[in-house]
Order: sequence, then structure tokens, then C-alpha cells
Amino acid sequence: MDETTDINRELMLDANATAGLLYEIFGAEMTASPTECAHCGREGEIGTLLAFTQGPGIVLRCSGCENVVIRIVQTPDAIYLDARGAVYLKLARTG
Amino acid sequence: MKPTLNWQIASIANIKPETPNVKTFTLKLPSWMRHRAGQHYDIRLTAEDGYQAQRSYSIASEPEREGEVDITVERLDDGEVSSYLHDVVTQGDRIEVRGPIGGYFVWDADRTDPLLLIAGGSGVVPLMSMIRHRAAAEAKNPTSLLYSSRSFEDVIYYDELDRLSKSNAGLQIFHTLTRSQPADWKGYARRIDEAMLREVAGPLGSSAQVFICGPTLMVESAANALVKIGIDANRIRTERFGPTGG
Repeated sequence: MDETTDINRELMLDANATAGLLYEIFGAEMTASPTECAHCGREGEIGTLLAFTQGPGIVLRCSGCENVVIRIVQTPDAIYLDARGAVYLKLARTG
Repeated sequence: MKPTLNWQIASIANIKPETPNVKTFTLKLPSWMRHRAGQHYDIRLTAEDGYQAQRSYSIASEPEREGEVDITVERLDDGEVSSYLHDVVTQGDRIEVRGPIGGYFVWDADRTDPLLLIAGGSGVVPLMSMIRHRAAAEAKNPTSLLYSSRSFEDVIYYDELDRLSKSNAGLQIFHTLTRSQPADWKGYARRIDEAMLREVAGPLGSSAQVFICGPTLMVESAANALVKIGIDANRIRTERFGPTGG
């Protein structure tokens, strides 16, 4: 990461902190569910992603290469989800 | 039926001061659902003009307790939600919550591998839920907690941890006080470092499951040091809570 992003380093959280919002979007607990980084190919649970939550949107970065995996922006009437940094997201089927 | 995660109105059944800056709030929940140790609740405050503030707080109590959960909250000077909880809320008040949330930073007592818990300041809260769960389930897996606080008066749950370590097989508690120590202090007196982690983690072996919770930089340095002493990064789960705390 460059110096501009480094300023946020102390504010960095784990994606676990966004579990409630992810539940709202997907209707399921997501932090224990796997994903793959589209930049470096690292696979791991969503909970292993680094979360930056202080900006106008939420950014989840790969804990391996630190590239952006998922971005979420909330407006009063919608949630925008940009997951182009993930090869896939997995949603378990429930009975 | 698939459990859903809806906002509900909890009532504050009890407020217990833990340290000068930390209180435990017992939330009585109309739609209680058994949590897993390490999970959290979201709390949402809404002002009269519609402005909302929302924060996540770790559950401190064990999943075996029914109908209510404890959350332990540190008061942050610039914390909109924590200062409201500390300064305004009284017993019987009602607040909006949703949970339990999270499936990654959790520990279940049927795991038999050694458990290493590392806490900085109020990062001890989700780990306390794991320790209480372990005690309630009468688990016997070797477990060590390394807990860093600024001073003795900032240590949360000191007496209970002391009691549990004497009555629970295999549970060891290590304290470190980073800023000031009582005259007769026998524990560590510095920030968590590689040598300390070697002493605490060594006896648990390399198969230990590790949970680290605390201020972001403390979590980073502890996780990096553990990898250096030979613990597989995949066995380390972290919960960073930002720049504040012990």
C-alpha cells in the first residue's frame, strides 16, 4: 500500500466488523464463507479480508495483496455492491 | 425455520461497572437466539431528527445463558454510541439491537485443540465469552490467555479470570501491564512482544488455534510475531477494533 492508504492503517478492521451489513445484503452469515481474490488468487474466508469503514463507502481488501475485493456504498434507498475484485462469493443453500 | 437477523428492542436489565472506563450491560432480548462465543451485536441509536449511529459490540457472556446477553463496552471520548451507553442509559431503558452476528471469529467448546487467546484492552471481551463458554461446557483443552492492559485498574474481569484459572483445568492467565504496575506486580510489564509470545504460546505447541482481539496495531504486531515463532497464519484469527484501547 502507498503512503496515502497507510494513513488509514490504524483504522483498519477485519471484515468481521461488516458481518451485519453483509447479512443485510445476502440474507446469510457471510464472514465464514470463502472467496477468492481476483488480483492474487488468494482464497480465504470473507472474515480474513481487511475492512476500511471510515470512508463514505466500505472497502474490503485482500489480506494477501491488499487490492480491493469488495466495495459497498449505502444510500437512503439502496445498497450498491461492487465485487469485481472477487472471483466468486459463495452463498450456502439453506433448507 | 431459517433464523433471520432483524432489529429488535432489547431492554437493559443490568449495568455493572468493570473499570473506570468500562461497563457491562445486560441486554434482555425478546427474540433471543443462542450465540457462538466470539460473536457480536450491532447497536443502533436514532436521534429525533432521524440521524443514526451504529456500532458493533462483542458479546461477553457464555452461549449457555438464555434470554439475555452481556456486552462489555469501553467508553471512548469521541464515541457517539459508547458515551451514550455510559452516560445516558440506565437500567430499564430500551435500545435497538440486532444479532448475534459473525461466523469467523468464533470458538466452539467441542474443539479439542489447544487455544491461545491474546487480548489488548477491551479486546478481551469476545475472548471472555470463549473462556466462559469453555468453563460452562467443562472443556479441558489447554488454554492460555495473554491479556495486555495499561494499568492494573484497567484490567477487566480480573477477579473472575483469577477464579476461573484456579477452578478450570488447563486454563492459564497471563497479564501484562504496559504503563504502570502495582508495587508487588509479578506479571509482565511491557507491550506484547516475541519473547513473551514464545513463553506463553510455546507450551501449547504449534497446533494451537489462536484468537487475537485488540487495537489494530497491537493485533498486527502480535499476529506477525506469532508467525515468526512458527505458528501457521491459517490458525490465527484476528479481530481488530481500530486505533483506541490498551
